[in-house]
Amino acid sequence: MAASLVRFVRGGLGRSYNLARGSCVLQQQTRLQSATTETSPTIKPKDAVTHSQLAAFGEYVAEMMPKYIQQVQVTCYNELEVMIHPDGVIPVLTFLRDHTNGQFRNMIDLTAVDVPTRQNRFEIVYHLLSLRYNSRLRIKTYTDELTPVDSAVPVHMAANWYEREVWDMFGVYFANHPDLRRILTDYGFEGHPFRKDFPLSGYVEVRYDDEVKRVVAEPVELSQEFRKFDLNTPWEVFPAYREPKEAAPKLEAGDAAPEKK
Amino acid sequence: MAGLLKKTTGLVGLAVSHNPHERLRILYSKILASLQTMPQDAAYRKYTEQLVSERFQHVKMEPDVEKLEKKINCGQIEEVIFQAECELALSRKMTEWKPWEPLIEEPPPNQWKWPI
Repeated sequence: MAASLVRFVRGGLGRSYNLARGSCVLQQQTRLQSATTETSPTIKPKDAVTHSQLAAFGEYVAEMMPKYIQQVQVTCYNELEVMIHPDGVIPVLTFLRDHTNGQFRNMIDLTAVDVPTRQNRFEIVYHLLSLRYNSRLRIKTYTDELTPVDSAVPVHMAANWYEREVWDMFGVYFANHPDLRRILTDYGFEGHPFRKDFPLSGYVEVRYDDEVKRVVAEPVELSQEFRKFDLNTPWEVFPAYREPKEAAPKLEAGDAAPEKK
Repeated sequence: MAGLLKKTTGLVGLAVSHNPHERLRILYSKILASLQTMPQDAAYRKYTEQLVSERFQHVKMEPDVEKLEKKINCGQIEEVIFQAECELALSRKMTEWKPWEPLIEEPPPNQWKWPI
Protein backbone atom coordinates (compact mmCIF):
# COMPACT_ATOMS: atom_id res chain seq x y z
CA MET A 1 0.00 0.00 0.00
CA ALA A 2 2.73 2.44 0.98
CA ALA A 3 4.67 1.71 -2.19
CA SER A 4 1.67 2.27 -4.42
CA LEU A 5 0.90 5.47 -2.55
CA VAL A 6 4.37 6.84 -3.17
CA ARG A 7 3.91 6.04 -6.81
CA PHE A 8 0.66 7.99 -6.98
CA VAL A 9 2.14 10.98 -5.23
CA ARG A 10 5.01 10.91 -7.65
CA GLY A 11 2.56 10.65 -10.50
CA GLY A 12 1.07 13.91 -9.29
CA LEU A 13 4.49 15.51 -9.33
CA GLY A 14 5.14 14.35 -12.86
CA ARG A 15 1.82 15.70 -14.02
CA SER A 16 2.42 19.14 -12.60
CA TYR A 17 5.83 19.17 -14.26
CA ASN A 18 4.28 18.34 -17.61
CA LEU A 19 1.73 21.07 -17.20
CA ALA A 20 4.32 23.67 -16.28
CA ARG A 21 6.33 22.73 -19.35
CA GLY A 22 3.28 22.97 -21.59
CA SER A 23 2.42 26.44 -20.37
CA CYS A 24 6.02 27.53 -20.90
CA VAL A 25 5.73 26.70 -24.58
CA LEU A 26 2.49 28.65 -24.74
CA GLN A 27 4.19 31.57 -23.07
CA GLN A 28 6.96 31.66 -25.64
CA GLN A 29 4.50 31.71 -28.51
CA THR A 30 2.57 34.67 -27.16
CA ARG A 31 5.81 36.50 -26.52
CA LEU A 32 6.89 36.09 -30.11
CA GLN A 33 3.61 37.49 -31.31
CA SER A 34 3.48 40.57 -29.13
CA ALA A 35 7.24 41.27 -29.52
CA THR A 36 7.37 43.28 -26.32
CA THR A 37 10.01 42.75 -23.68
CA GLU A 38 8.43 41.01 -20.76
CA THR A 39 10.61 40.47 -17.75
CA SER A 40 8.75 37.86 -15.78
CA PRO A 41 6.59 35.05 -17.14
CA THR A 42 2.94 35.11 -16.13
CA ILE A 43 2.74 31.46 -15.22
CA LYS A 44 1.96 30.55 -11.66
CA PRO A 45 5.19 29.77 -9.81
CA LYS A 46 5.53 26.25 -8.52
CA ASP A 47 5.12 25.92 -4.79
CA ALA A 48 7.26 22.90 -3.94
CA VAL A 49 6.98 23.41 -0.17
CA THR A 50 3.17 23.28 -0.11
CA HIS A 51 3.22 20.38 -2.51
CA SER A 52 5.52 18.29 -0.36
CA GLN A 53 3.58 19.19 2.79
CA LEU A 54 0.32 18.07 1.22
CA ALA A 55 1.91 14.90 -0.10
CA ALA A 56 3.28 14.16 3.37
CA PHE A 57 -0.12 14.69 4.98
CA GLY A 58 -1.75 12.53 2.32
CA GLU A 59 0.67 9.70 3.06
CA TYR A 60 0.03 10.15 6.77
CA VAL A 61 -3.74 9.81 6.30
CA ALA A 62 -3.36 6.83 3.97
CA GLU A 63 -1.09 5.09 6.45
CA MET A 64 -3.61 5.65 9.25
CA MET A 65 -6.61 4.24 7.37
CA PRO A 66 -5.38 1.71 4.81
CA LYS A 67 -8.71 -0.11 5.05
CA TYR A 68 -10.67 2.59 3.23
CA ILE A 69 -8.23 4.77 1.27
CA GLN A 70 -7.56 3.55 -2.24
CA GLN A 71 -5.42 6.33 -3.59
CA VAL A 72 -3.99 9.70 -2.59
CA GLN A 73 -2.78 12.33 -5.00
CA VAL A 74 -1.76 15.97 -5.05
CA THR A 75 -2.96 17.76 -8.17
CA CYS A 76 -0.86 20.19 -10.15
CA TYR A 77 -2.70 23.08 -8.47
CA ASN A 78 -1.65 21.83 -5.02
CA GLU A 79 -4.92 20.27 -3.96
CA LEU A 80 -4.87 17.12 -1.89
CA GLU A 81 -7.26 14.44 -3.11
CA VAL A 82 -8.11 11.32 -1.16
CA MET A 83 -9.95 8.55 -3.00
CA ILE A 84 -11.87 6.26 -0.66
CA HIS A 85 -14.08 3.20 -0.79
CA PRO A 86 -17.79 4.13 -0.35
CA ASP A 87 -17.98 2.13 2.91
CA GLY A 88 -15.42 4.46 4.45
CA VAL A 89 -17.30 7.74 4.15
CA ILE A 90 -18.23 8.02 7.84
CA PRO A 91 -14.93 6.69 9.25
CA VAL A 92 -12.71 8.85 7.05
CA LEU A 93 -14.76 12.03 7.53
CA THR A 94 -14.89 11.47 11.30
CA PHE A 95 -11.20 10.75 11.43
CA LEU A 96 -10.32 13.92 9.55
CA ARG A 97 -12.69 15.95 11.72
CA ASP A 98 -11.61 14.64 15.12
CA HIS A 99 -7.95 13.84 14.71
CA THR A 100 -5.73 16.50 16.27
CA ASN A 101 -3.44 16.70 13.25
CA GLY A 102 -6.33 17.18 10.83
CA GLN A 103 -9.23 19.07 12.40
CA PHE A 104 -11.16 19.38 9.15
CA ARG A 105 -14.23 20.61 11.00
CA ASN A 106 -15.96 22.40 8.12
CA MET A 107 -17.62 20.85 5.12
CA ILE A 108 -17.38 23.38 2.31
CA ASP A 109 -19.08 21.46 -0.45
CA LEU A 110 -20.51 18.10 -1.38
CA THR A 111 -21.36 17.31 -4.95
CA ALA A 112 -21.39 14.55 -7.54
CA VAL A 113 -19.94 13.96 -11.00
CA ASP A 114 -21.65 11.78 -13.58
CA VAL A 115 -19.38 9.74 -15.86
CA PRO A 116 -21.72 7.28 -17.62
CA THR A 117 -18.95 5.16 -19.17
CA ARG A 118 -17.73 3.95 -15.80
CA GLN A 119 -18.94 0.90 -13.96
CA ASN A 120 -19.79 3.13 -10.98
CA ARG A 121 -21.00 6.17 -12.82
CA PHE A 122 -21.29 8.67 -9.96
CA GLU A 123 -18.36 10.21 -8.16
CA ILE A 124 -19.27 11.84 -4.85
CA VAL A 125 -16.90 14.67 -3.94
CA TYR A 126 -16.49 16.16 -0.45
CA HIS A 127 -14.58 19.40 0.13
CA LEU A 128 -13.30 19.97 3.64
CA LEU A 129 -11.63 22.91 5.35
CA SER A 130 -9.43 22.95 8.42
CA LEU A 131 -9.43 26.39 10.03
CA ARG A 132 -6.78 25.37 12.54
CA TYR A 133 -4.18 24.47 9.92
CA ASN A 134 -5.57 26.63 7.10
CA SER A 135 -5.76 23.78 4.65
CA ARG A 136 -8.25 22.16 2.36
CA LEU A 137 -8.87 18.59 1.33
CA ARG A 138 -10.95 16.82 -1.26
CA ILE A 139 -12.39 13.37 -0.71
CA LYS A 140 -13.79 11.33 -3.57
CA THR A 141 -15.82 8.17 -3.53
CA TYR A 142 -18.03 6.40 -6.01
CA THR A 143 -21.41 4.73 -6.41
CA ASP A 144 -23.92 3.68 -9.08
CA GLU A 145 -27.64 4.36 -9.53
CA LEU A 146 -28.82 1.74 -7.05
CA THR A 147 -26.18 1.51 -4.34
CA PRO A 148 -26.82 3.87 -1.43
CA VAL A 149 -23.93 5.83 0.10
CA ASP A 150 -23.77 6.50 3.85
CA SER A 151 -25.01 9.97 4.63
CA ALA A 152 -22.42 12.40 6.04
CA VAL A 153 -25.00 14.27 8.15
CA PRO A 154 -24.02 12.59 11.46
CA VAL A 155 -20.49 13.94 10.94
CA HIS A 156 -21.12 17.29 9.24
CA MET A 157 -24.48 19.03 9.61
CA ALA A 158 -23.73 21.03 6.48
CA ALA A 159 -24.08 17.87 4.39
CA ASN A 160 -27.87 17.85 4.86
CA TRP A 161 -28.88 20.17 2.03
CA TYR A 162 -25.96 19.18 -0.18
CA GLU A 163 -27.07 15.56 -0.06
CA ARG A 164 -30.63 16.56 -0.83
CA GLU A 165 -29.29 18.44 -3.82
CA VAL A 166 -27.24 15.47 -5.04
CA TRP A 167 -30.27 13.23 -4.58
CA ASP A 168 -32.44 15.66 -6.53
CA MET A 169 -30.00 16.32 -9.36
CA PHE A 170 -28.27 12.95 -9.76
CA GLY A 171 -30.51 10.44 -8.01
CA VAL A 172 -27.82 9.15 -5.66
CA TYR A 173 -29.49 7.66 -2.59
CA PHE A 174 -28.01 8.49 0.81
CA ALA A 175 -28.68 5.97 3.55
CA ASN A 176 -29.64 7.31 7.01
CA HIS A 177 -30.26 10.84 5.80
CA PRO A 178 -32.77 12.52 8.15
CA ASP A 179 -34.83 14.26 5.44
CA LEU A 180 -34.00 13.11 1.93
CA ARG A 181 -36.39 14.77 -0.54
CA ARG A 182 -36.21 17.05 -3.55
CA ILE A 183 -34.79 20.55 -3.00
CA LEU A 184 -34.28 22.35 -6.34
CA THR A 185 -36.74 20.89 -8.85
CA ASP A 186 -40.44 21.68 -9.02
CA TYR A 187 -43.14 19.78 -7.16
CA GLY A 188 -43.97 16.62 -9.03
CA PHE A 189 -40.86 16.79 -11.19
CA GLU A 190 -39.69 13.45 -12.54
CA GLY A 191 -36.13 12.47 -13.33
CA HIS A 192 -32.71 13.73 -12.26
CA PRO A 193 -31.64 16.64 -14.48
CA PHE A 194 -27.87 16.55 -13.94
CA ARG A 195 -27.53 13.02 -15.25
CA LYS A 196 -25.75 12.91 -18.58
CA ASP A 197 -28.60 10.92 -20.14
CA PHE A 198 -31.23 13.53 -19.19
CA PRO A 199 -32.16 15.42 -22.39
CA LEU A 200 -31.35 19.12 -22.58
CA SER A 201 -34.98 19.98 -23.30
CA GLY A 202 -36.37 17.81 -20.49
CA TYR A 203 -39.34 15.49 -20.82
CA VAL A 204 -42.25 17.85 -20.04
CA GLU A 205 -43.02 21.51 -20.60
CA VAL A 206 -45.39 23.52 -18.43
CA ARG A 207 -47.71 26.34 -19.46
CA TYR A 208 -50.71 28.14 -18.09
CA ASP A 209 -53.92 26.84 -19.61
CA ASP A 210 -56.68 29.44 -19.77
CA GLU A 211 -59.48 26.90 -20.10
CA VAL A 212 -58.71 24.77 -17.05
CA LYS A 213 -57.36 27.86 -15.21
CA ARG A 214 -54.17 26.23 -14.01
CA VAL A 215 -50.64 25.32 -15.03
CA VAL A 216 -50.54 22.13 -17.05
CA ALA A 217 -47.58 19.90 -17.87
CA GLU A 218 -47.35 18.34 -21.31
CA PRO A 219 -44.75 16.17 -23.03
CA VAL A 220 -42.18 18.23 -24.93
CA GLU A 221 -42.86 18.55 -28.63
CA LEU A 222 -39.95 19.79 -30.69
CA SER A 223 -40.64 20.98 -34.22
CA GLN A 224 -37.44 19.29 -35.30
CA GLU A 225 -37.84 15.77 -34.01
CA PHE A 226 -34.26 14.68 -33.64
CA ARG A 227 -31.21 16.84 -33.56
CA LYS A 228 -27.74 15.50 -33.30
CA PHE A 229 -25.56 17.91 -31.42
CA ASP A 230 -21.84 17.74 -32.10
CA LEU A 231 -20.47 19.31 -28.95
CA ASN A 232 -16.87 18.13 -29.19
CA THR A 233 -14.37 20.93 -29.10
CA PRO A 234 -11.80 21.09 -31.92
CA TRP A 235 -9.02 21.89 -29.42
CA GLU A 236 -7.12 19.40 -27.37
CA VAL A 237 -8.54 19.90 -23.90
CA PHE A 238 -6.03 18.17 -21.66
CA PRO A 239 -2.60 18.44 -23.30
CA ALA A 240 -0.93 17.78 -19.98
CA TYR A 241 -2.75 14.47 -19.67
CA ARG A 242 -1.76 13.14 -23.08
CA GLU A 243 -1.32 9.41 -22.88
CA PRO A 244 2.04 7.98 -23.93
CA LYS A 245 1.90 6.21 -27.26
CA GLU A 246 2.30 2.48 -27.07
CA ALA A 247 5.91 1.50 -27.36
CA ALA A 248 6.96 -1.15 -29.83
CA PRO A 249 6.72 -4.63 -28.30
CA LYS A 250 9.97 -5.61 -26.71
CA LEU A 251 11.89 -8.47 -28.22
CA GLU A 252 12.96 -11.37 -26.11
CA ALA A 253 16.61 -12.33 -26.24
CA GLY A 254 16.03 -15.47 -28.32
CA ASP A 255 13.62 -13.92 -30.85
CA ALA A 256 14.84 -12.97 -34.28
CA ALA A 257 14.29 -9.36 -35.32
CA PRO A 258 11.54 -8.94 -37.91
CA GLU A 259 13.01 -8.67 -41.37
CA LYS A 260 12.96 -5.29 -43.01
CA LYS A 261 12.01 -4.98 -46.62
CA MET B 1 -6.42 30.58 39.20
CA ALA B 2 -6.80 30.87 35.46
CA GLY B 3 -10.50 31.60 35.89
CA LEU B 4 -9.74 34.64 38.01
CA LEU B 5 -7.52 36.19 35.36
CA LYS B 6 -9.35 35.07 32.25
CA LYS B 7 -12.91 36.23 31.66
CA THR B 8 -13.62 34.65 28.29
CA THR B 9 -12.04 32.61 25.53
CA GLY B 10 -13.53 34.92 22.92
CA LEU B 11 -15.01 31.91 21.15
CA VAL B 12 -18.74 31.23 21.09
CA GLY B 13 -19.75 28.13 23.02
CA LEU B 14 -16.33 27.58 24.60
CA ALA B 15 -16.31 28.38 28.31
CA VAL B 16 -13.20 29.22 30.32
CA SER B 17 -11.77 26.13 32.00
CA HIS B 18 -11.00 26.49 35.71
CA ASN B 19 -8.82 23.41 36.08
CA PRO B 20 -7.31 22.73 32.64
CA HIS B 21 -4.42 20.62 33.96
CA GLU B 22 -6.72 18.25 35.81
CA ARG B 23 -9.05 17.96 32.81
CA LEU B 24 -6.24 17.34 30.34
CA ARG B 25 -4.61 14.78 32.61
CA ILE B 26 -7.85 12.78 32.79
CA LEU B 27 -8.49 13.04 29.03
CA TYR B 28 -4.97 12.12 27.97
CA SER B 29 -4.79 9.10 30.28
CA LYS B 30 -8.17 7.95 28.93
CA ILE B 31 -6.95 8.33 25.32
CA LEU B 32 -3.79 6.37 26.08
CA ALA B 33 -5.83 3.63 27.76
CA SER B 34 -8.14 3.47 24.75
CA LEU B 35 -5.13 3.22 22.42
CA GLN B 36 -3.82 0.25 24.39
CA THR B 37 -6.63 -1.90 23.00
CA MET B 38 -5.40 -1.46 19.41
CA PRO B 39 -2.75 -3.67 17.80
CA GLN B 40 0.85 -2.58 18.32
CA ASP B 41 1.65 -1.88 14.68
CA ALA B 42 -1.47 0.19 13.88
CA ALA B 43 -0.35 3.52 12.44
CA TYR B 44 -3.15 5.36 14.23
CA ARG B 45 -2.01 4.03 17.59
CA LYS B 46 1.64 4.80 16.87
CA TYR B 47 1.16 8.41 15.79
CA THR B 48 -1.55 9.29 18.29
CA GLU B 49 0.42 7.84 21.20
CA GLN B 50 3.38 9.93 20.14
CA LEU B 51 1.26 13.09 19.85
CA VAL B 52 -0.69 12.61 23.07
CA SER B 53 2.27 11.61 25.22
CA GLU B 54 4.18 14.66 24.01
CA ARG B 55 1.34 16.94 25.08
CA PHE B 56 0.90 14.97 28.30
CA GLN B 57 4.56 15.63 29.12
CA HIS B 58 4.03 19.37 28.63
CA VAL B 59 0.96 19.28 30.89
CA LYS B 60 2.90 17.47 33.61
CA MET B 61 5.96 19.71 33.40
CA GLU B 62 4.39 23.16 32.99
CA PRO B 63 2.11 24.50 35.74
CA ASP B 64 1.59 27.93 34.15
CA VAL B 65 -1.32 27.95 31.69
CA GLU B 66 -0.01 30.61 29.34
CA LYS B 67 3.38 28.97 28.96
CA LEU B 68 1.66 25.63 28.48
CA GLU B 69 -0.42 27.07 25.64
CA LYS B 70 2.76 28.31 23.98
CA LYS B 71 4.47 24.95 24.39
CA ILE B 72 1.58 22.97 22.94
CA ASN B 73 1.10 25.67 20.27
CA CYS B 74 -2.41 24.64 19.22
CA GLY B 75 -4.57 27.52 20.40
CA GLN B 76 -5.94 28.35 23.84
CA ILE B 77 -6.01 25.70 26.53
CA GLU B 78 -9.78 25.34 26.18
CA GLU B 79 -9.34 24.51 22.50
CA VAL B 80 -6.68 21.96 23.41
CA ILE B 81 -9.17 20.38 25.82
CA PHE B 82 -11.76 20.26 23.06
CA GLN B 83 -9.27 18.60 20.72
CA ALA B 84 -8.50 16.01 23.38
CA GLU B 85 -12.20 15.29 23.83
CA CYS B 86 -12.58 14.77 20.07
CA GLU B 87 -9.53 12.54 19.96
CA LEU B 88 -10.91 10.42 22.81
CA ALA B 89 -14.25 9.97 21.04
CA LEU B 90 -12.41 9.16 17.81
CA SER B 91 -10.10 6.60 19.39
CA ARG B 92 -13.12 4.75 20.81
CA LYS B 93 -14.80 4.71 17.42
CA MET B 94 -11.56 3.59 15.77
CA THR B 95 -11.50 0.42 17.86
CA GLU B 96 -14.87 -0.46 16.32
CA TRP B 97 -13.93 0.42 12.73
CA LYS B 98 -10.46 -1.19 12.78
CA PRO B 99 -9.11 0.98 9.91
CA TRP B 100 -5.63 -0.57 10.16
CA GLU B 101 -6.87 -3.68 8.35
CA PRO B 102 -5.97 -4.12 4.64
CA LEU B 103 -8.02 -2.43 1.93
CA ILE B 104 -11.55 -3.89 1.78
CA GLU B 105 -11.93 -3.60 -1.98
CA GLU B 106 -9.80 -2.40 -4.86
CA PRO B 107 -11.43 0.29 -7.03
CA PRO B 108 -12.93 -0.92 -10.32
CA PRO B 109 -10.64 -0.39 -13.32
CA ASN B 110 -10.54 3.19 -14.63
CA GLN B 111 -12.46 4.47 -11.60
CA TRP B 112 -9.87 7.11 -10.74
CA LYS B 113 -8.59 7.71 -14.26
CA TRP B 114 -9.26 11.22 -15.50
CA PRO B 115 -9.74 12.37 -18.26
CA ILE B 116 -11.32 9.11 -19.31
